[in-house]
Amino acid sequence: MTPMNAESRPALARGVRLWIDPITGGPVLLFPEGVLPLDDTTHDVISRCSGAATLEAIVDSLAEEYEADRATLQNDVCECLMQLREEMLVTLSP
Amino acid sequence: MLLAELTYRCPLHCPYCSNPVAYPGGAELSTAEWRRVFEEASRLGVLQAGFSGGEPLQRADLPELAAAARAAGLYTNLITSAMGLTRKRAEELREAGLDNVQISFQSDEEALANEIAGTAAHQTKLRAARMVRELGFPLTVNVVLHRGNISRIAQIISLAESLEAERLELANAQYYGWAFRNRAALLPTRPQIAQAALVVSEQRKRLLGKMKILFVTPDYYSDRPKPCMNGWGARFLTVNPVGEVLPCPTASSIKDLRFDNVRERPLAWIWNESESFNRFRGTEWMPLPCSDCPQREIDFGGCRCQAALIAGDATVTDPACSLSPYREKLTVFVESIQSVGENGPSFDADEGGIAFRQNPVD
Repeated sequence: MTPMNAESRPALARGVRLWIDPITGGPVLLFPEGVLPLDDTTHDVISRCSGAATLEAIVDSLAEEYEADRATLQNDVCECLMQLREEMLVTLSP
Repeated sequence: MLLAELTYRCPLHCPYCSNPVAYPGGAELSTAEWRRVFEEASRLGVLQAGFSGGEPLQRADLPELAAAARAAGLYTNLITSAMGLTRKRAEELREAGLDNVQISFQSDEEALANEIAGTAAHQTKLRAARMVRELGFPLTVNVVLHRGNISRIAQIISLAESLEAERLELANAQYYGWAFRNRAALLPTRPQIAQAALVVSEQRKRLLGKMKILFVTPDYYSDRPKPCMNGWGARFLTVNPVGEVLPCPTASSIKDLRFDNVRERPLAWIWNESESFNRFRGTEWMPLPCSDCPQREIDFGGCRCQAALIAGDATVTDPACSLSPYREKLTVFVESIQSVGENGPSFDADEGGIAFRQNPVD
């Protein structure tokens, strides 16, 4: 898998939809034959994966919102995005 | 998850077809009836609709149905042989908001693929798969595995990779209906399964982040049953072409279950109240050894249809479980297969042995 760097621009993969489950009111990812309920943190990461924002900008934005340590946050975001990429839910824009 | 079986009609004749061996009578649901099903399903909490069959493209109103399901808020997946998937129809489906296209292949190799399908389909499928990618659809490739094609698993993975599929489903035939009838010709040998698992494990690593590979081995080789449908009446419902609602796509093989019809009852009533959906829901129905098994909330006692088929009783533990008193029946069958070696079955109908799926008679 191509490693990510500060300039990588993650986006939802083709065929993946960010959706609100009308029954629970919670955010989910919909993809072929699958539904992934999102916790708040993952939702915050994914809703920033526009394909235009760089990883650096995403981490900056989250660091500001959470008032959290940037280095720790970057690790968490990378870990989260790596898992989503392995599941073909997120890709890197060219 | 709603599996919408739109029609039983299909141009292919695969000997492991998921169609019932004995078709129920009745006319196919109309466009308006399906629209109501999608709306009711959405209100029930369903998020996903799979259009299946038979071949769903046999329905002229498929784009309307896709649009109706999307309008109801459902994620839509077309599960197709790709026969009849012209560019014009694919464009209509894209316009309708269809989310994903899943195309079945019978093998990577044309001659074998056409033999299994019972018709010359392979080239059409290749063209259709390339075309849907051009139109920007995400693509799932699905190949049902059996003794005749499992040894080509590496080449099958290469085929899906060359088609730039996001997902590849490599599921062994499940031995119900047509596949049960043909299981002596379809079940792979133990070394074939082991070799395939090795190839999948290597290729998964190589393709991580590029293509997701799902691999399902036959439960005949397992000690524990599969968590069928993630529990009866828990997450899954099938509406068949004539409107019957089934807790699992093969539940019609359970002879003493009666299925309610969306033409007569609201979907919510069928899901919550009907006898068929409550029959094996939860853990109350379980006999020993399931009822005091620590796995009972993990595998839910396995598959009711398999219990009916092998043990002749849908209420007993799935015979795939090593704790089932009927496990021996599967084991004897599995062992009888090992001596046939790795040669695939002959798919030549004239040589006998294989029963190809037939269409319903109008």
